Amino acid sequence: MHVIHMGHDVFKANDKIAEKNRKTLDKHRVFSVNVMGAIGSGKTTLIEEAVRHLKEKYRTAVIAGDVIAEMDASRFRKLGVPTIPVNTGKECHLDAKLVEKALNDIDLDNTDLLIIENVGNLICPVDFKLGEHLRAVVVSVTEGDDIILKHPMIFKTAELAVINKVDIAHAVDVDAEKMRDDILSLNPDVPVILTSKHDWESLETWISFIELGIRRAQEAQRK
Amino acid sequence: MHEYSLACEIFEQVISTAEAHGALEVRHVILEMGRLAHANPEQLSFCFKAIAEGSIAENAEFIVEMIQPSLECECGYTGTLDKTQAGKDDELLSELLEYISALECPICGKNARITGGRELIIKSIDIETEVEK
Ligand SMILES: [Zn+2]
Repeated sequence: MHVIHMGHDVFKANDKIAEKNRKTLDKHRVFSVNVMGAIGSGKTTLIEEAVRHLKEKYRTAVIAGDVIAEMDASRFRKLGVPTIPVNTGKECHLDAKLVEKALNDIDLDNTDLLIIENVGNLICPVDFKLGEHLRAVVVSVTEGDDIILKHPMIFKTAELAVINKVDIAHAVDVDAEKMRDDILSLNPDVPVILTSKHDWESLETWISFIELGIRRAQEAQRK
Repeated sequence: MHEYSLACEIFEQVISTAEAHGALEVRHVILEMGRLAHANPEQLSFCFKAIAEGSIAENAEFIVEMIQPSLECECGYTGTLDKTQAGKDDELLSELLEYISALECPICGKNARITGGRELIIKSIDIETEVEK
């Protein structure tokens, strides 16, 4: 018998492709957001709102990742923006390789904003970087107020946290402020926003956060 | 759960390395897994065995060594969390959360940056290149 030292890091192999994706996006001056969150948290609706209000100002494209991606993809396509469905099949997350492939199908020279909707899951997407500029996580009050402490890593590593459907918090007996506190206890520096699709002001906060990212990316490019 | 796809990747890497070294059989596969990675050692081992059926790694022993989380703080502190620092709170829901709740700088108390404990590494394999007599 003899021992062969390998030292092959399975996640690093993904991270390397993610870095390549990031460089491709930077070269074409595209700002990208990875939207993660559980099934039913309202990711698709929040992305639709962002697309609707940003598409006139910024050339926008969407990657819709799901076990069967076409359903959400058709919702984004209705808004008139280029949309690439990425079927993950058995997989529970998007990985950098899948995004690399999808980037080939996007006219990056004519894109300012790329929104990536990840598969509905609070666990698996955490281990796989995509090359994105902003990692956002969406949870809704309907998931119960212990959802955050059950899934600490995604909140620990997120760069933006959204608590959605706060208008029905009372009906489902959940305290949205407790959810905010739980997120901040895991990640004191992360911006947390409370949203409801029935409250335009809250959506505006979500959208302006993305817009801030696009502007910063564009300014950085000009320097 | 992504153990199946991780096991596929591990299997492919193990087999190609083993074959490149003229292996007739893979006896051990030793992995290093961070405690903060979302992978379960038992499930990973189960998936690997299923995938390896009928291959030269069919009877390989799958050994997982866990890596403790390590931290870096802006005050200059760097260090590793040991078992005694995590897992003190009975109210916490998961082992993962116990570790994360302990990710504070022991010097200044600030929220420290995670520098290790999220990896999944194929450390080494043990192969047989000759037919046993
Ligand atoms: Zn410190």
